[in-house]
Amino acid sequence: MEIDREDGRTPNQLRPLACSRNILHRPHGSASWSQGDTKVLAAVYGPKAGTKKNENAEKACFEVIWKPKSGQIGKVEKEYEMILKRTIQSICVLTVNPNTTTSVIIQVVHDDGSLLPCAINAACAALVDAGIPMKHLAVAICCCLAENGYLVLDPNKLEEKKMTAFAYLVFPNTTLSVLPEGSSVAEGEPVEHGIITSVTHGVMSVDDYFLCVENGRAATASLSAFFRKNFQQSSSKAG
Amino acid sequence: MVMRKLQLELPLNQTQKVRFERAMERLQLLSSTTNNSVIVADSIHEDAFLLKGYGTSEVDGELLATVCGVVTNVDKLVYIRTLRARYKPEVKDIVVGRVIEVSQSCWRVELNSTKDGILKLSSMDNDVQRRKTDVDELSMRNIIVEDDVVCAEVGCIHRDGGLELRATSYKYGKLDKGQLLMVDPYLVKRSNIHFHYIESLGIDLIIGRNGFIWVGEHVQAQDRRILDDEMIKHTSLETRQSILRIGNAIRVLSNLGFTMTLEVIIETVILSNMENIDVHDMLGSEFHVLVAENEVERRIRRA
Repeated sequence: MEIDREDGRTPNQLRPLACSRNILHRPHGSASWSQGDTKVLAAVYGPKAGTKKNENAEKACFEVIWKPKSGQIGKVEKEYEMILKRTIQSICVLTVNPNTTTSVIIQVVHDDGSLLPCAINAACAALVDAGIPMKHLAVAICCCLAENGYLVLDPNKLEEKKMTAFAYLVFPNTTLSVLPEGSSVAEGEPVEHGIITSVTHGVMSVDDYFLCVENGRAATASLSAFFRKNFQQSSSKAG
Repeated sequence: MVMRKLQLELPLNQTQKVRFERAMERLQLLSSTTNNSVIVADSIHEDAFLLKGYGTSEVDGELLATVCGVVTNVDKLVYIRTLRARYKPEVKDIVVGRVIEVSQSCWRVELNSTKDGILKLSSMDNDVQRRKTDVDELSMRNIIVEDDVVCAEVGCIHRDGGLELRATSYKYGKLDKGQLLMVDPYLVKRSNIHFHYIESLGIDLIIGRNGFIWVGEHVQAQDRRILDDEMIKHTSLETRQSILRIGNAIRVLSNLGFTMTLEVIIETVILSNMENIDVHDMLGSEFHVLVAENEVERRIRRA
């Protein structure tokens, strides 16, 4: 029993992806990422000297500023900033540039569903463009659950409204990862099966959640391939 | 079809597209045999590299990349050069920059690097060697003001990243009567000579390591310090046209991603003269294709 999606996609199909880097002149790194109609611009400045007051001076510090398309900055934006900051902290190598601050600024150009994953992907691409050392790349995806219990990936805004629950999931890009102690096996499970970030809204059962995770992870393979192709293309022309 | 490489998009018709693709393929074959680009968490071939440089990290005895870029090695050092690198200053590099601020006894210069360069009043060498007094500080604006272009060498780099510039010889200082061009820093390789004087055209060419290139009318070396207003002569029309032609040649080369050296620039200018291409047409698609083909032949000749 398949769900009919309005734009004719299958439940596991993602919207067309587009990514361009080095679009802004002033920031050290910039990228724009669009999935379908959702488009986000990310800019990275840094690393700059000095950390904020309460931050650990032995590690690099990240600061995220989220700018919505219109309206004032409210609690929703603050929450996105915090989620993005934690995600970035876990994918970047913090010990290379201690006592520095790197600012990531996210500008929402258009929101058509699945905004936070799009922003995470854009931030990751911008960090790559700026040359910030990272342990692995992050790919983010949104999975949601419809009323009849079926899973749909990468919804647009109308679909999101009709869903009972959805989850934003962020996975690491590759199997190998640059971890400090070389712990590729953490607590009995290899790292590629790990999740970096998970944000859920709505009510879903535990089994449904694990199903979301599996489907999401399978779909991130195509996202990872897209990332890799994009970076290798631009580095082969420069090298 | 648009050129993939360019930031600005140039429309190519069918024949131009074919010629361009072919030239690019041949360049690819001529330049490097292996594609050394890596993305984060890719492993790099060990091959007895003793020093692990920037962008690499050793995990479980295996060398992994922490940034996306091209693997480069210098003797026993392996490091990853990121794609859109800001200029990383090294001592004794010649740089060209634009002044953005006049502060107390120093000028702040923008260099396309993570930090702005500081040019101290005490490191500007006047003909008379003396201590700089308050009068000198107050008359700083008579020497260099905001938006002026200066040429200097990197003096020292502080531990927190602060960059000090020195303009201690008559070669350095304020640059006048010319054009400043900005290209990517990785296109300018370190060489022995960064100051070029093209005698046939009477033009100075300064290739700064930070990717800023100055093309201007030739000025005698001592004249840079003289603040004589009456000595300002008008640049002749041919000199101006030559400046623009060289400027456009540099723009085309930077669009195509070729390394900036004097010979390449001069060859491009000669090519444009031979084909009788007008100065503004140099930024068109036809000339880009011609330059790409010319580069292929140049590399074949050199190899």
